[in-house]
Amino acid sequence: MTPLLEVDGLVVEMRRQRTAFHAVDGVSFVIERGGALAIVGESGCGKSLTLRAIMGLLPRGGRLVSGQVIVDGVTLDRAARGRGRGHNQSQRMSIVFQDALSALNPVSKIGNQIAEAPRHVLGYGRSASRARAIELLQLVGIPDPERRFHAFPHELSGGTRQRVMIAIALSSDPAILLCDEPTTALDVTIQTQILALLAELRVERGLSLVFVTHDLGVVSQVAERLAVMYTGRFVETGPTEDVLATPRHPYTSGLLGAALDVDTPEREPLAIPGSLPDPLRLPRGCRFQPRCSLATPECVTTDVRLESVGPSHLAACLHSEQVPSARELDGRG
Amino acid sequence: MSAPIAPSAGQVERDRDIARRSSFLSRALHSPTLMTGAALTATIVALALLAPVIGRYSPVSQDLLHQLAGPSSAHWLGTDELGRDVWSRLLYAGRTDLQVGVLAVLFPFAFGVFIGTVCGYFGGWIDSIVMRIVDVVLAFPFYVLIIALVFVVGFGTHGIYIAFALTDWVIYARITRSATLVARNLDWVAAAEGAGLSRTRVLWRHILPNTITQPIVYAMSDIVLVILAVVTLGYLGLGIQPPAPDWGSMINDGQNFIQTNQWLAAIPGLAVVLTGVGLSLVGDGLADILRPE
Amino acid sequence: MADALIEVDDLSVRFGSEHGRSLRAVESVNLQVAEGEVLGLVGESGCGKTTVAKCIAGRITPSAGTVRFDGRTLGRTRSKEDRRAIQMVFQDPYSSLNPRMSVRRVLAELLRVHGLVQRAAIEDRCIELMALVGMPRDALDGLPSQFSGGQRQRIAIARALAVEPRVIIADEPVSALDVSVQATILRLFEDLRSRLGLTVVFISHNLAVVRHLSDRVAVMYLGRIVEQGDREPVFRDPRHPYTRALLASAPRLHQVELVRPVVKGEPPSPIDIPTGCSFHPRCPRAEELCSRDRPGLEPVDAGDDHVAACHFRGEKTFVAEEGP
Repeated sequence: MTPLLEVDGLVVEMRRQRTAFHAVDGVSFVIERGGALAIVGESGCGKSLTLRAIMGLLPRGGRLVSGQVIVDGVTLDRAARGRGRGHNQSQRMSIVFQDALSALNPVSKIGNQIAEAPRHVLGYGRSASRARAIELLQLVGIPDPERRFHAFPHELSGGTRQRVMIAIALSSDPAILLCDEPTTALDVTIQTQILALLAELRVERGLSLVFVTHDLGVVSQVAERLAVMYTGRFVETGPTEDVLATPRHPYTSGLLGAALDVDTPEREPLAIPGSLPDPLRLPRGCRFQPRCSLATPECVTTDVRLESVGPSHLAACLHSEQVPSARELDGRG
Repeated sequence: MSAPIAPSAGQVERDRDIARRSSFLSRALHSPTLMTGAALTATIVALALLAPVIGRYSPVSQDLLHQLAGPSSAHWLGTDELGRDVWSRLLYAGRTDLQVGVLAVLFPFAFGVFIGTVCGYFGGWIDSIVMRIVDVVLAFPFYVLIIALVFVVGFGTHGIYIAFALTDWVIYARITRSATLVARNLDWVAAAEGAGLSRTRVLWRHILPNTITQPIVYAMSDIVLVILAVVTLGYLGLGIQPPAPDWGSMINDGQNFIQTNQWLAAIPGLAVVLTGVGLSLVGDGLADILRPE
Repeated sequence: MADALIEVDDLSVRFGSEHGRSLRAVESVNLQVAEGEVLGLVGESGCGKTTVAKCIAGRITPSAGTVRFDGRTLGRTRSKEDRRAIQMVFQDPYSSLNPRMSVRRVLAELLRVHGLVQRAAIEDRCIELMALVGMPRDALDGLPSQFSGGQRQRIAIARALAVEPRVIIADEPVSALDVSVQATILRLFEDLRSRLGLTVVFISHNLAVVRHLSDRVAVMYLGRIVEQGDREPVFRDPRHPYTRALLASAPRLHQVELVRPVVKGEPPSPIDIPTGCSFHPRCPRAEELCSRDRPGLEPVDAGDDHVAACHFRGEKTFVAEEGP
């Protein structure tokens, strides 16, 4: 069966003042119907840009250099996406952003914002789109939807706003939801609610999910597949449980080692030595090697690519078998 | 804690992990806007300063035998209706206009920044009163005021300086006040106050260097506005009094001859435009490089 | 607690609001922090933890109650020495440093103004402070724009330490940092605390961080403390449903099943605090009693240090200590 979403060799260039660099440097993945992928990485790794490139919403200074996005067998026209949300191109996909307050129109009632897509994209009439909006408000768990229809974004709490964002994303009846750190700005008890809502939507509507986050603690609840991103590339991909239990890339292992777990307070978090490289002066060979304890001279000379290290599990490391597993990381605490 | 302490046992940052910063000069030199503006303005200023040297005649000496002469080797830009050398008049007029432009802005800048900072930081009744005064002044038509002043104080530059001193400070006050209001709520101000530094110190040594960039950039275009105002007043006959030259009166006089000797009005007009462009570019360029990255 | 370094007594902060109703940001908070101890102040947004911190640091004047430091009540205006004694480290590394002042200027000014070292020794002391937070001496010449988030936090900590404080109030100091950088800054805190004997009030919404660093914990909700005690009793045996909900919702690496939301809805506006127990509309354990009768902060077992503001505080729960 054709996968629902196929991203192939995405390269995004960012221009900063007089210099340009590849902020996303060859990202590929596949989402099956109803499947979910979590993309994890730290700030500046290119994870948000990847989503924006797929949606055709690149910021100023960003340019899609190469790569294809194929939705349900149809290759999206790059030129149309370059011009901004291409008409029917991205209809099967919707995006949910991190900061609902800045993503929502402050002077428009939320009900109207939700009704917009049904009315202007799907061709519903005025009262039909209104009814649909109220339906969606209910679906995302906002109580008293008829009254809340008339609320403005600033009148709502953070969690409710995020639900509104999800409702807007659902209003065009998408098959895929791209989520850019949707719960990062929310309190932890609200985060649980939003994650539960997303899980429910997946089950009830067969929604597929691409979930971008920096929080490893959230991924096991969200997606069955995980991709770890570093300097614009995937360094490891695989089933979430496998990647977390037996990481095969030193960066993944580093992230796991640096994370704090509420259940094991005596475990010392280990910092990853060094810092993120300047995107204009990336290291030769493997980009992580200057910070890696497993690095050998080979790592500097070889252009390391993703290789299979287990069932559906890929890692871009020459020494993947030596990477400490989660158990070993916990043990040293 | 006064005994020497061993360095941190944890991970240490390395020199190479800290970004380098280009110096102010380097960034200035790489800004085409700033460089163009600076070059243009510097040229004009230099010419004006060198007026006694490169102006070949006194700007007021008349030569009624050679009125309205075209450009020649004797008179590079020709002569006006009273036989005065246009080139010399242009340069001396530049001196006057530039001087007035800069001086007229000094007091409004200094006073406006001061009062804006105080209002923005302390708020309260000072802020309320001053802002109401600002509103009143802004509502007042500038030229009406200056014409009235000129009649009270007399013709000449005094009236101009006083008029600007009374009215121009309000914009600086507003700009600085907004910038100060924003800065006041930032964590680094709280840190400075919390560390035991006096409010005076925090206000003038910490906040002001951050808030002053906007007024400086505005001042550049303000000089242009002042020159234009002086030019306009000169054109209305209320500004610099003859026979002292200024670009405004030169344009005014020149318009009588617009059919036959267009350059008499055009040349000083061009001088005003070039000065304006130069200063604006400097302002824009400064705005770009003064912005903290 | 005998001789606490910081004592917060019945602290309340209310802001006047429209319609004459006041916004109760903090209500009747009691806290004690012993010298050399780390108190973790936990809660979600709007719970008032930052407001409490600002009161202790002297940036806000409370509407009621007192803050006592070293036995003395701190008034509206504080002496320079008192202000020095309690320093804050802020959450946002990008707005906590003056963009136009070099690191050296910032540190040297503080040293000079407080007369902490001889003029000739200022430069050496600045280098020492940098070394203390793990920064190279060349960093002194730098402006904030040259540094990363983690580096800026180190500089902010150096600034706090420059005046030789006795208490550091850290308001979410690592929340804005990447995970790998968080680890570094947390270790720095641990290191400094053990070496310099600092007293720390550590504010965070991140339970994992709080559990890692704190000796004692206080959990806040809608302006009140709902549970307080030594770290392990609170984490192993939480007695307030809100604490339990926070623990259950905390992200965990190896979460097999989706966490079922334990708490319904959202926190109400602080202008409109529910009657009785302010948590009752969202509480999974709530009964009719809870809407009428506000529970006090009482010991969970007789004579205990561990207190909770819940009618059912006596009921134990099991919280798994290890992940699955």
